[in-house]
Amino acid sequence: MTYGVGDLVRTSGRDPAHHYRVPRYLRAKRGRIEAVHAAFPLADARAAGDPAPPLETLYTVAFDGGEVWPEGAEPNTVYHAELWESYLLPAAELP
Amino acid sequence: MSRLNDVGGLTGFGPIEREPDEPLFHSEWEARVFALNRLLMARGLYNLDEFRDAVERIDPARYYGLSYYERWFEGIRTLVIERGIVPPETAA
Amino acid sequence: MSEHGHDHPHDHGSPAAVMTARVNALIGALEARGVAADADVTAVIERFLAAAGPQNGARIVARAWVDPTFRALLLADANAAIAALGLDMSHWAPVELRVVENTAHVHNIVVCTLCSCYPIALLGPAPQWYKSEAYRSRVVREPRAVLREFGVALADDIEVRVWDSTAELRYLVLPRRPADSDGWDEARLMQGVTRDALIGAAR
Repeated sequence: MTYGVGDLVRTSGRDPAHHYRVPRYLRAKRGRIEAVHAAFPLADARAAGDPAPPLETLYTVAFDGGEVWPEGAEPNTVYHAELWESYLLPAAELP
Repeated sequence: MSRLNDVGGLTGFGPIEREPDEPLFHSEWEARVFALNRLLMARGLYNLDEFRDAVERIDPARYYGLSYYERWFEGIRTLVIERGIVPPETAA
Repeated sequence: MSEHGHDHPHDHGSPAAVMTARVNALIGALEARGVAADADVTAVIERFLAAAGPQNGARIVARAWVDPTFRALLLADANAAIAALGLDMSHWAPVELRVVENTAHVHNIVVCTLCSCYPIALLGPAPQWYKSEAYRSRVVREPRAVLREFGVALADDIEVRVWDSTAELRYLVLPRRPADSDGWDEARLMQGVTRDALIGAAR
């Protein structure tokens, strides 16, 4: 799945024990593609010593503060992270 | 099963301590650890993610008691021992 | 002294002395294997410190404040913009820089919750507080409270953007030009640009 700026996405909820670059606080969260970057070797595979790690597009995803901390977030705050394509899934809609 | 480096949102780490006019390195050994890491990666012994992975694998009981560059040293040492480049008792 | 008959550095010495001995031992062992010489390590430090430092960030910011064309390029393609100043981030591997600007309505702050990613090749090593668990854990939970502790009080109608440097980009915050700086040349403007401001932890 390839995404474009403005697309709604959600981050994977998977919880691996290996080197992985979706911070826990941003897992299974809905966000919006804010920027599309070049393709880079996937960190998980590089950390495992894969001599040919897959190249995946890197995206900057923006998350509303209330989505990240539904139990209580500071006002008017937006979080951003850079996430590889396989870390993301399409999201139908945001509230 | 995220590792001990994944601290976003965790609590209990105390105040953010800032040092006025902080030097770029606090001691020579830190600068050498920094440079050694850059050198070994430039020479292809390991990549940045393998290095991060090695630091993340430090025993949690020790991890939080180590300073930043002490962790870097542990990561480098782990990698070069695992690759059989130096004997396991090196710099223990 | 242990029964093994040789000195264990943990038995005595300050933490710095212990680490110095261990670092020497590791480099010595690597040198014996022909992997890395002590002289190479020294050369890396010198080359790095000659090229990287907070003054590079101050220069970029001052230029952006006086030159709208440069500012626009910096925000659209930071690597190209800093190349025009003779600056380069790619010491050993390509690194993509992104510059995010503070405005009257937006304040940016940067963190790497997973480790300590920072534009090292441009600005030199990050400050210790940026790498601390205390900052990395709290700034993504309560950024406005952290900013207040840093002396930056923001009204709720100013949007706070937190950038968690989780992958291959490195971030630089373009602070707002001081209100009373009309007519200042770049050298004077540079003096007011702090390392903390480039992270977003100061105005």
